[in-house]
Amino acid sequence: MKKYKIIIVENDEDEQLFMKEGFDSAGLFDIVAQVRNGDTLFEWLDKNKSSLPDVILSDLNMPGKNGYDVINEVRTNPLYNHIPVVITSTSSTKTIIEKCLSSGAADYIVKPETFVEYVPYVQNLYKRIEEKQLVK
Amino acid sequence: MIVDYNVLLQGLTEAIVILDIEGYIIYSNPAVVDITGHTPEDLLNKHLTVLYQTAQDQVKAEYELGLSLKKGKFLSEGWRLKKDGSHYWAEMFISPLYDGQSKRLGYSCIIRDVSEKKKLDIELRQNEQRFRLMVEAVRDYAIFMLDPTGHIMSWNEGAKRIKGYSADEIIGKHFSTFYTSEDLESKKPERELKIAVATGKYEEVGWRVRKNGSVFWANVVITALFNDQNKHIGFSKVTRDLTDKKEAEESLRQSEERYRSLVEQVTDYGIFMLDEKGRIISWNEGAKKIKGYEETEVIGKYFSIFYPEEDVLNGKPALELKIAKSEGKYEEEGWRIRKDGTLFWASVVITAVYNNQGIHIGFSKVTRDLTERKESERALRESYERYRLLANELRVTNTELSYANQELEQFTSIVSHDLQEPIRSIKSFLQLINIKLNNEQNEDLKLYIEKAISSADRMKQLIQNLLHYSQLGKTELVEEQINVDELISEAIQNIRTSIEKSNAQITVQNDVKTVEGDRIQLVQLIQNLLSNALKFTDTESPKVKISGFHENGHVKFSVSDNGIGIAETDLNKVFEIFRRLHTKKLYPGTGIGLAICKKIVDRHRGRIWPESKPGKGTTFYFTLNEQKEILEPA
Repeated sequence: MKKYKIIIVENDEDEQLFMKEGFDSAGLFDIVAQVRNGDTLFEWLDKNKSSLPDVILSDLNMPGKNGYDVINEVRTNPLYNHIPVVITSTSSTKTIIEKCLSSGAADYIVKPETFVEYVPYVQNLYKRIEEKQLVK
Repeated sequence: MIVDYNVLLQGLTEAIVILDIEGYIIYSNPAVVDITGHTPEDLLNKHLTVLYQTAQDQVKAEYELGLSLKKGKFLSEGWRLKKDGSHYWAEMFISPLYDGQSKRLGYSCIIRDVSEKKKLDIELRQNEQRFRLMVEAVRDYAIFMLDPTGHIMSWNEGAKRIKGYSADEIIGKHFSTFYTSEDLESKKPERELKIAVATGKYEEVGWRVRKNGSVFWANVVITALFNDQNKHIGFSKVTRDLTDKKEAEESLRQSEERYRSLVEQVTDYGIFMLDEKGRIISWNEGAKKIKGYEETEVIGKYFSIFYPEEDVLNGKPALELKIAKSEGKYEEEGWRIRKDGTLFWASVVITAVYNNQGIHIGFSKVTRDLTERKESERALRESYERYRLLANELRVTNTELSYANQELEQFTSIVSHDLQEPIRSIKSFLQLINIKLNNEQNEDLKLYIEKAISSADRMKQLIQNLLHYSQLGKTELVEEQINVDELISEAIQNIRTSIEKSNAQITVQNDVKTVEGDRIQLVQLIQNLLSNALKFTDTESPKVKISGFHENGHVKFSVSDNGIGIAETDLNKVFEIFRRLHTKKLYPGTGIGLAICKKIVDRHRGRIWPESKPGKGTTFYFTLNEQKEILEPA
């Protein structure tokens, strides 16, 4: 079973903590970096062009460059546009999901009810990446 | 001087014959020869008859002699035969002759030839007869004679035809027979005769009475008749029946009257006549109403009195007449002046008027006061402007409102979204604490934490509902034909848990096959109403009935429960967002469910309303696609 290299973009430190726990427990991904918004994401990418992630998992609402910005910049940058951006958010609102997908997000996954349920979340994420063959 | 009677008789130019007692001629003087041609010798001892026309006249001669004896003298007139066989008209004065002792000696007879006079007489008579026959034969005129007192002396065919009396019936009667009782009372017949005598003639047109009592319209001429001696001898009366003419005139008059009164009584139009110079010759009610002048004030005045001064100075009235005459008609709208000096906006039509012979006799003028129309036009324009202004304001407000609305929705969306994150964190940590607490050691803490989690849950639900509500207006409706039975069963399926928990009995009676609308929203609608019904039911086994049917060309649904019902004063509050009519303890909820229902029904161009009897239950009705055209989003 292939492990995907993933960067997690999330401004909430608690969320980051529990996400890491979930990802670690599930053992399906290698977290290459955890950044707090789009700005720091692109800083990291610029510095690590030789070891780019397989997937970018990004929150939507963040101070600074938010999820939409991430989608746009990745999509329009020829260096990065092969990397799928999966947006994750607490909102299950249809319009928001559609907006993300139509902007170029590879997928949208609603965050779990509580932090303690990140393992099934990660499993679901892996399943969808496989099914949709998001990582080329 | 001694008179020789013999010489006297012989020399007398008067023809004299002496007869004996038997009537035989014993003497005739030479003048007799001149008249009759008979010599004294011819006549001597011949009977007087010889001077009559034929021998058969002896009876007549003897009879006349006898009459002269009785009366003392007798005038015998008639045709007599001369000796040569020719005739002459003779007057013979026969008188008996007596001696001194009254002894009858015989007769004297004076003969005169009056043929010439007689001829004239006859001619006159023949003339008269011709006239009489002519008069009698006239059929179209009643011509008859009256004596000086007014009694009828003659009667002709026309009189018989017109008045109905035969000559026998009427001759001798007084001519007042032909008059109406009113005329008789006023002694009109007598007056007419007096006038005729005084002036020679009386003429009139009036009503007369026929024999059968009917009246006729008569032209009457009475002429006083005087003879050669200027003596009044009576009257001729010529009567003509004008009834036919009268009827024609009457119908003409009535028709004229009708038109005149029609025109006179028209009040919305000033209609009047001008003579060819422009002077007013008639006036109607409308003209009086519009211009304020009485008929008496205005007749004979020039119509230019209705024009403002500058029009008059410019010669406008005269020009209008000129145009009307040359083109037949003049039409315009303009200011005119009322009697009180105020102006009014008039519509004017001047038409040239010609008589039967095509001679120009004047103008008709029809004036209408358009002030009111102008006024209403102005009012209309004003109200239109007001409306436009309002519409503008409304548009601005609308734009502002939709902007505000957009902002609000954005705000709601952002706020609710951002609110979710911390709540999620709180709940997450509470859960973590709960997991890590030793079950036996901290019972109390565990309870508090569970309460805190429940509060966080509730907060989350609130936020989600709010988000959902704000999203309802944002998203476009996905309209499709949806099977209603499927809709209902989907909604029931979604809340199966709470149905089972409340032990509710749901019945469905649906006559509607499909509806057009957004599937997700309509499921939500029914689901919310069902939840609501279950929530507000106290009984052990709630009974909820879902019905669907067609009514007045659209579909109508109802969801009825046997729950606590809604007080009448609260009926209109149920759809207000966050409005919760019952305490939280008894009936949990966010207060958004029915607001969402209302919004969904609104978006589906329908109406939703509750009917309720407190304690008995509530029925929510809703319709869909009721006013498709009106509520279609702009």
